[in-house]
Amino acid sequence: MSKKQVFAILMLTLALVISACAPNTPAEPTQPAQQEETQAPETAPSEEAAPAETEAPAEPVTIQFFYPVAVDAPIADIIKGYIADFEAENPNITVEPVFSGGYGDTYTAIMTAIDGGAEPPAVAVLLGTALYDLINADAIIPLDAYLDQMPDKDAYLNDFFPAFLENSTYDGSIWSLPFQRSTVVLYYNADLFREAGLEPPNSWQSWGEAAQALTVKDGDTVTRWGLEYPSGWPYWLFQPLAIGSGQNIVGESDTEVYFDHPDVIEAVQFYIDLSHVYGAMPEGVQGVWGQAPTDFASGQTAMIVHSSGSLRGILEQADFEVGVMPLPGQEPDTYASVPGGGNLYIFKGASPEQQDAAWKFIEFLTRPEYAADFSIQTGYIASRQSAYETEAMQAYVQEVPQALATRDILQYAGRELSVQNLGEVRNIFHNYLQQAYNGEMTPEEAMAAAQQEADAALADFR
Amino acid sequence: MAKRTWNRRALGQTTLTLLTWALGLLWIVPLLWAITASLRPLNEPIQRGDVWFGTTLSIESYTKALSLAPFGLYFKNTVIIVLMILGVQLITITLAGFAFANYRFRGQKVFLFLILLQLMIPTAALLVPNFATIRWLNLYDTRLAIAIPYFGSAFGTFLMRQAFLEVPQDLVDAGVLDGCSWWQLLWHVYLPPSIPTLTAFMLSSVAWHWNEFLWPLIVTKSDAARPLTAGLVRFTQLGEIGAQWSLLSAATLLVAAPLLVVFLIFQRRFIESFLHSGLK
Amino acid sequence: MTTRRSSVGVKALPYFLILPTLAFVSLFTIWPTLNAIYLSFFKQRLNIARFREPTFIGWENYINLFHDPTFLKVLKNTLIYVVGTVPLSIVVAFLMAWLVNQPLRGRGWTRLFFFHPTVLPMVSAATIWMFFLTPDYGLFNTTLAWLGYHGPQNWTGNPNLALFGVMLVAFWKNAGYYMIFYLAGLQNLPHEVFEAAQLDGANLLQQLRYITFPLLRRTTLFVSTIAFIGAFQTIDHIFVLTQGGPSNASNVLLYYLWQIRFENQDVGRASAVTVILILVLLVFTVSNVWLSERREESQYG
Repeated sequence: MSKKQVFAILMLTLALVISACAPNTPAEPTQPAQQEETQAPETAPSEEAAPAETEAPAEPVTIQFFYPVAVDAPIADIIKGYIADFEAENPNITVEPVFSGGYGDTYTAIMTAIDGGAEPPAVAVLLGTALYDLINADAIIPLDAYLDQMPDKDAYLNDFFPAFLENSTYDGSIWSLPFQRSTVVLYYNADLFREAGLEPPNSWQSWGEAAQALTVKDGDTVTRWGLEYPSGWPYWLFQPLAIGSGQNIVGESDTEVYFDHPDVIEAVQFYIDLSHVYGAMPEGVQGVWGQAPTDFASGQTAMIVHSSGSLRGILEQADFEVGVMPLPGQEPDTYASVPGGGNLYIFKGASPEQQDAAWKFIEFLTRPEYAADFSIQTGYIASRQSAYETEAMQAYVQEVPQALATRDILQYAGRELSVQNLGEVRNIFHNYLQQAYNGEMTPEEAMAAAQQEADAALADFR
Repeated sequence: MAKRTWNRRALGQTTLTLLTWALGLLWIVPLLWAITASLRPLNEPIQRGDVWFGTTLSIESYTKALSLAPFGLYFKNTVIIVLMILGVQLITITLAGFAFANYRFRGQKVFLFLILLQLMIPTAALLVPNFATIRWLNLYDTRLAIAIPYFGSAFGTFLMRQAFLEVPQDLVDAGVLDGCSWWQLLWHVYLPPSIPTLTAFMLSSVAWHWNEFLWPLIVTKSDAARPLTAGLVRFTQLGEIGAQWSLLSAATLLVAAPLLVVFLIFQRRFIESFLHSGLK
Repeated sequence: MTTRRSSVGVKALPYFLILPTLAFVSLFTIWPTLNAIYLSFFKQRLNIARFREPTFIGWENYINLFHDPTFLKVLKNTLIYVVGTVPLSIVVAFLMAWLVNQPLRGRGWTRLFFFHPTVLPMVSAATIWMFFLTPDYGLFNTTLAWLGYHGPQNWTGNPNLALFGVMLVAFWKNAGYYMIFYLAGLQNLPHEVFEAAQLDGANLLQQLRYITFPLLRRTTLFVSTIAFIGAFQTIDHIFVLTQGGPSNASNVLLYYLWQIRFENQDVGRASAVTVILILVLLVFTVSNVWLSERREESQYG
């Protein structure tokens, strides 16, 4: 029995060892500590070359760069190309790009990673409007220390389009710099407008009428819509309607919203009228964000409201002349839009060396030539005015005048919704806006309820 | 009279056959569509009234999908995760099932109850506290993090216990008389007749964990540990995919194909082992 | 030493044998359950620095939840989802099993057709269905239109349809899985009983009503239990198809839980939702077993 006993214990230990250790071995290469090791061979050759090229060979540092993809453009490939250029210039820095879905997904992924105890990204592209949430979460650092070291700080900052810098300052500091910036635009099929003898719309009424005229029906079923208004980013796509109606949904302070203002309610009503009065748009909440450009490019709808960042993808797919303009306002010859898109942030959890490397990367990405290239390749508006003076951009706008049109839309842009506790306020607004779109509540009821809940959500921050 | 009954029966059979086939085809339509859509040339978007075939068959959707996301890496991760879970589960459930079937010990019922709690409180519902545990174990963004919550399986333990209980007492007694040690008894007496149950459990474990999505999405941040399912969802979120259904279908099938093919090859045994196991 | 079947081994052996399972189950089922209960009485929000440390607030998370129209909507949706998908899947699963258990031509193929969604990942299934549910040219809609339906078509964007859309996908995916268990049950039924019944002149419906259903009661209990639990724990298709929208019309408990924890980073509230989810699961499974046993008693008692 005693012999058996010993053997039994041996077997058990073995079983436990297997069950505890077997999974460990294959999983190891993915553990953060190991990651740097696996990258070592890649950086090694450039490290050797480094001393020859740069005067001050620095310790190798690896930073993670989280970015979202929200438009129809090969962002992942473009980013990889920039990283390669950057690494060639800075042989001691390795940038590891991490794609995590759209803006919301990327924000969630970063917060989850920080929360999970993983190394946070050193730098990330997140919505410009995420500023207050990121500061409240104590997740990011101000960029002043880096900016102050720049010899041409003021010239650098003044070169960004002011509309894009609006979300960067808080408490006297600058926390982010614009990167992939866009505006809400109206894409229209210029060929169809010409065939129908229509001018691009200049007011709500002419917009509705044009959309109505371009809607094609086969018996009861619609074979081409006049207009599609996708369901992604409801607050953002709605804002130009509110601004065009006379009242933006957000004020100048970080705790003020105007959801129940009569002009805002009128704007909701106009959205509903586009399907109910003009019969020119699918009813209620519509198809998903990513689908609208394909629908437009394949001729299933004559107009879409979308991000200027989708310009490149649409131009590539469409075999007709694509018109780009701001959204018409309520009164004749008024127009409206709203800026959007992502800024670059540096994260607090990264080491000082990583933060320094992240700043170098930000400086690199915001160079006029890269801002221009990014705009050319995607359709995003270049973040800096000097980007439009680069040779590449000059040549491009000759060929694709729409790229200048998206930039010029900026002059009609109001302030994007950005307040404290944004995640919750945005969800509240979306919830009621969609209920109004879908006819579950009247616009008045919905906006009153939205205002009430948003006020409660903002109360802690006033 | 006899002939009429026969006719009626034949008619009934025909009706049933037609009904079964109609329902069956209804069920397979989504897969068939996905296959044809994935073979459509990329530059022929799907439109009203033209949803089945493009002008030619083309595999460019597959090559494009493979170039846009590291499906090979996702596949490797999935295989490792699934095998890791399966390997550990086979050991844990066999040992525990054996203990509960072969022995009577103090606290047996309490322990069995504690383990069976997992049947009523599925791991998916506990993602919030389990995420904290993963953090505490310092496992975030590893394949082990995806696998470890499933190492102990109440379902498997229970199945193995039931299968072992069906082993005839005579066999057990004979084994004991022969002087078998406990592991010999387990290996030579209990396990052989329980293989169908074990196979069925293996199949359901593999199918379940191959297809799991939410938990892997939460505990991974990078491609290095991401399995196929989470990779597919990230892929569909690439803005440039939009409504390119051929590309989406190709990616979907790339993710579904390995298990689907294995299932097609072994489908008879797959279903048989379900039929003959304790899974009823 | 008390033994049941054999006394091979040492006295401590059974404890060692169950130790690995018990350890993992404790770490990933029992401890987290207790932890969730504990944390549900605290306010802890990771995205607001001053609320990052947990503070005890008693029942406030629960009180807030039950005053929140969104949460109440989510509860209602969950109920509709479970009650809508589970019985229907089970009935259709039985029908499928019964059909493919008949000596039909090509039943191997039809079995395969019914069962294949089981091995498809839910995210793949949902991605395919995303196309079927697309307005205008989606196949589901064109088929419906062909059948004479002219109602609203946006199965993922319309608040009255979105929940139905995700339920449809779950139903399609699960029925074939449950079919397997019924098929196993049907094949294990004693043939003699049916032959005797046929001699007695019992027709098909009578056979089903008085022999098949009662004999398959245990199978039904098993299938309904896994179906109930499955309905609560699979939300992958909601992730792909609707993200719970529009206006939370297709949001259910587990998806809501994910949003609260990982989008809003509200650990306290998410813990309270976890506790409620566990309670709802227990109520469903226990009452399911209880109902089934009572029916069995009334049948034979």
